[in-house]
Amino acid sequence: MPAVLLAYIRWVERVNRVIGRAAMYLIFAMMGILLWSSVSKGFFQPSLWTLEMAQFVMVGYYILGGPYSMQLGDHVRMDLLYGRWSPRAKAWADGITCLCLIVYLALLFYGAVSSTSYALQYGERSYSSWRPYMAPIKLVMCVGIFLMLLQATAVFLRDIARIRGEEIA
Amino acid sequence: MSYEMIALTMFASLMVMLLTGQRVFGAIGFVAVVASLLLWGDGGSELAFSAAMKLMKWYPLLTLPLFIFMGYMLSESGIASDLYRAFHVWFGGLRGGLAIGTIGLMVVVSAMNGLSVAGMAIGATIALPELLRRGYDKVMVTGVVQAGSSLGILVPPSVVLVLYGMIARQPVGQLWLAGAVPGLLMAGLFVAYIAVRCWLQPSLGPVLPAAERRMPLSEKLGLLRAGILPLAIFFLMTGLFLMGVTSLVESSAVGALSATGAALIRGRLTRKVMEDTLRQTLGISCMFMWIILAALCFGQVFDGVGAVRSIETLFVDEWGLSPWEVLILMQVTYIIMGTFLDDTAMLVIVAPLFIPLVGALGFDLVWYGVLYTITCQIAYMTPPFGYNLFLMRAMAPPEISLGDIYRSILPFALIMLLALALVMLFPQIALWLPQHVQTRG
Amino acid sequence: APYVKAQSPIKWRLQTYAGPALAEHVIKPSIDSFNKVAQGQMEIELYYADQLVPTGELFRAMQRGTIDAVQSDDDSIAAPVDVSVFGGYFPFATRYSLDVPVLFNQWGLREIWEEAYGEIDGVTWLSAGAWDPCHFNTKEPIRSLKDLEGKRVFTFPTAGRFLSRFGVVPVTLPWEDVQVAIQTGELDGIAWSGITEDYTVGWADVTPYFLTNNISGAWCGSYFANTERWEELPDHLKELFRLCMDSSHYYRQHWYWGGEAKLRVEGTKMELTSIPDEEWDTVETAAHEFWDEIAGESERNARVVQILKDYNAAMVKAGRPYRYGKA
Ligand code: NA
Ligand code: NA
Repeated sequence: MPAVLLAYIRWVERVNRVIGRAAMYLIFAMMGILLWSSVSKGFFQPSLWTLEMAQFVMVGYYILGGPYSMQLGDHVRMDLLYGRWSPRAKAWADGITCLCLIVYLALLFYGAVSSTSYALQYGERSYSSWRPYMAPIKLVMCVGIFLMLLQATAVFLRDIARIRGEEIA
Repeated sequence: MSYEMIALTMFASLMVMLLTGQRVFGAIGFVAVVASLLLWGDGGSELAFSAAMKLMKWYPLLTLPLFIFMGYMLSESGIASDLYRAFHVWFGGLRGGLAIGTIGLMVVVSAMNGLSVAGMAIGATIALPELLRRGYDKVMVTGVVQAGSSLGILVPPSVVLVLYGMIARQPVGQLWLAGAVPGLLMAGLFVAYIAVRCWLQPSLGPVLPAAERRMPLSEKLGLLRAGILPLAIFFLMTGLFLMGVTSLVESSAVGALSATGAALIRGRLTRKVMEDTLRQTLGISCMFMWIILAALCFGQVFDGVGAVRSIETLFVDEWGLSPWEVLILMQVTYIIMGTFLDDTAMLVIVAPLFIPLVGALGFDLVWYGVLYTITCQIAYMTPPFGYNLFLMRAMAPPEISLGDIYRSILPFALIMLLALALVMLFPQIALWLPQHVQTRG
Repeated sequence: APYVKAQSPIKWRLQTYAGPALAEHVIKPSIDSFNKVAQGQMEIELYYADQLVPTGELFRAMQRGTIDAVQSDDDSIAAPVDVSVFGGYFPFATRYSLDVPVLFNQWGLREIWEEAYGEIDGVTWLSAGAWDPCHFNTKEPIRSLKDLEGKRVFTFPTAGRFLSRFGVVPVTLPWEDVQVAIQTGELDGIAWSGITEDYTVGWADVTPYFLTNNISGAWCGSYFANTERWEELPDHLKELFRLCMDSSHYYRQHWYWGGEAKLRVEGTKMELTSIPDEEWDTVETAAHEFWDEIAGESERNARVVQILKDYNAAMVKAGRPYRYGKA
């Protein structure tokens, strides 16, 4: 595998690891917001923003955390047939179907960019009385999906290497 | 191509993609986007992303990462080992008593968490090694842990019933109550099976030596204190929700906090526990969320080609099935698909096709939620595809082989089918409690 | 099911923001008629709230052609025009459901809407009609303004902005989730519709109290279409679609008007409560301040507010039966 590609894989995985590990802590933000929602409703005026804000955090959590979780192999596969194949056959199957994964993520990204450009162009606000602007969360989604796309390409390169009998550490 | 053919082709392609062993979310997402492009051209290019916006607005999904976090925290908190010691002493005198105690432990864990993750982790790390050390039959106890932990989604609280509630538009409080009695019934059936089996074959579950069980009654009663923390957690999370003090999503945050509190009280909240819990929570949450994201897109395209209407036409008009025949056909379909399809995806893709029809045929959707959940339980542990199965494979001690795991399932899956049949024949098993208890949640 | 033939008919996907139970009345009959009359030349497939595209993405989806046409108020789909605040329930803008078509056809709102949507690429605004009045239905009774304080209520964004002045906490959820959210404690009540809809969609089963005071006499909602799809239609199908929209507008006029009275008198699921008129007047006064605030947002909004003021003044001057009470 050419050194450039190796460097690319390492770089993508490092970035995703850092971002994913940061996203990991967003669960505390979710907890905090929902607990505050519970407390504020009990003792003061219920807050307008809690549910929607918690939803934004949840989206950030799983979209930004997605690439790191893929790196760690947390996404299940159905191994009825796959589980019985030789490592080489697995590598071939992975290499080919990884392109399918990339197609899906590319379209997801295309939709994200289009929706975000709409949000920016028209100053889109959420359909609620709190009315937050939608562009920030959509931008976060664009970034996360793009990183997922990069991660998928890195995985693809690893699969190719495996087909050629190399193993990238 | 007719719309039925499009729907069928989509489904067939999905099966093929899944068999290639690609990550489940990628397989579903790919078929969904290709179908949307073929059907709607440029106009379909944004459906994948609009599913992400739909997911964002599905507010009960907020409970998912929090329940997962809570499950891992509970299994690390040490609550379970105290409980297990109590069950150990109280049931050790029976043949198969430890296995029965394990079911008891699983019921308590199920009452604290909405997924089967916590039960699996606790069962595999605390109960399983102990059972093996005592000479219990490894095939039987592997089945005990898997079946017992699957109660997590039937005994309230339950994430599966939350998701079902969102699709069927039924109140979660009522659904949770409906799951309680069938959950206990199923636990009872497991216990009966273990007791009978070990009575017939004492070698499967030897009695604990008397020396270990001999202790003064006061000390024996003192062991029951282990139940206090679980009771407190159950009250804070499920109790306050059913009383209407906390909303559903808030109650999941309260649950996560109380599990963390329990770990802190027991002095188990180390850096490593925190790190493991956070990492595993992220991993499992991402897995579920990305599958739901892709499956929502698939479901939208499926809906767009009129699959719901086609199914109704097919079952009711063309085949002329009676409501009960349709219902049984649906359960059979779920069970067959559930054995080899991801059940989160099934929930998002197949349930929206079936549930409206169940309602239209005049069945009670709260009752059906229980049937659905039992079917999910079966799907969770039947090979080749099931989350409990995956977790078991990952967590089981080395002496337990894949073959053992697969073989261990059979009797428990049959018991679950029996429970399913009982709840179908006697709907009051599920409906009595929700009809007699007024919840605010 | 229909087959995609070589000489395929024109197909439209229309998404309404109403769920199936409500759509059964407010749009489905007109779409069924359309399909029947079109005799296979064109077929409209009807989709319900959030079914194909989540409501928040609906406008964009129509612009891009994922959806061909939409029935909704401008407010709910966050239409990217300044006048969208007047869609849905603009507080105290109308007293009766007939006010809406009069304002659009005789007082110049149609021209303003055409002008506003003319500035947006890809979407054509077609026609506006009236729905029901906006009342509160809640779990606890409301007998004074004080009872509104701290209530988490599902409502339209603009109505919610206004109601937050009285301590109401507006919450937005997908429409289909509202009933469950009441039961799971996410919501204390709803300010979205009249009593007909409360009974039709099942909310009457979970909210036992109905407040007779309303903050608007009629919802204002529209039909929109993807511009390219609309332009492509042959003239006679365009005309047929216009008739179809009018027939849906007309059905709602009598369905709601009759239903509101009948269910108040004969309905058994909800107890009626009222806030005394003098106290409710403070809400109307606050609404007029809110109008001025909205008028300040754009020159076009100022024109709409002026029309609303002139119209309501004329109605008061016309006297009974147009307006009762204070002159
Ligand atoms: Na549970
Ligand atoms: Na399975």
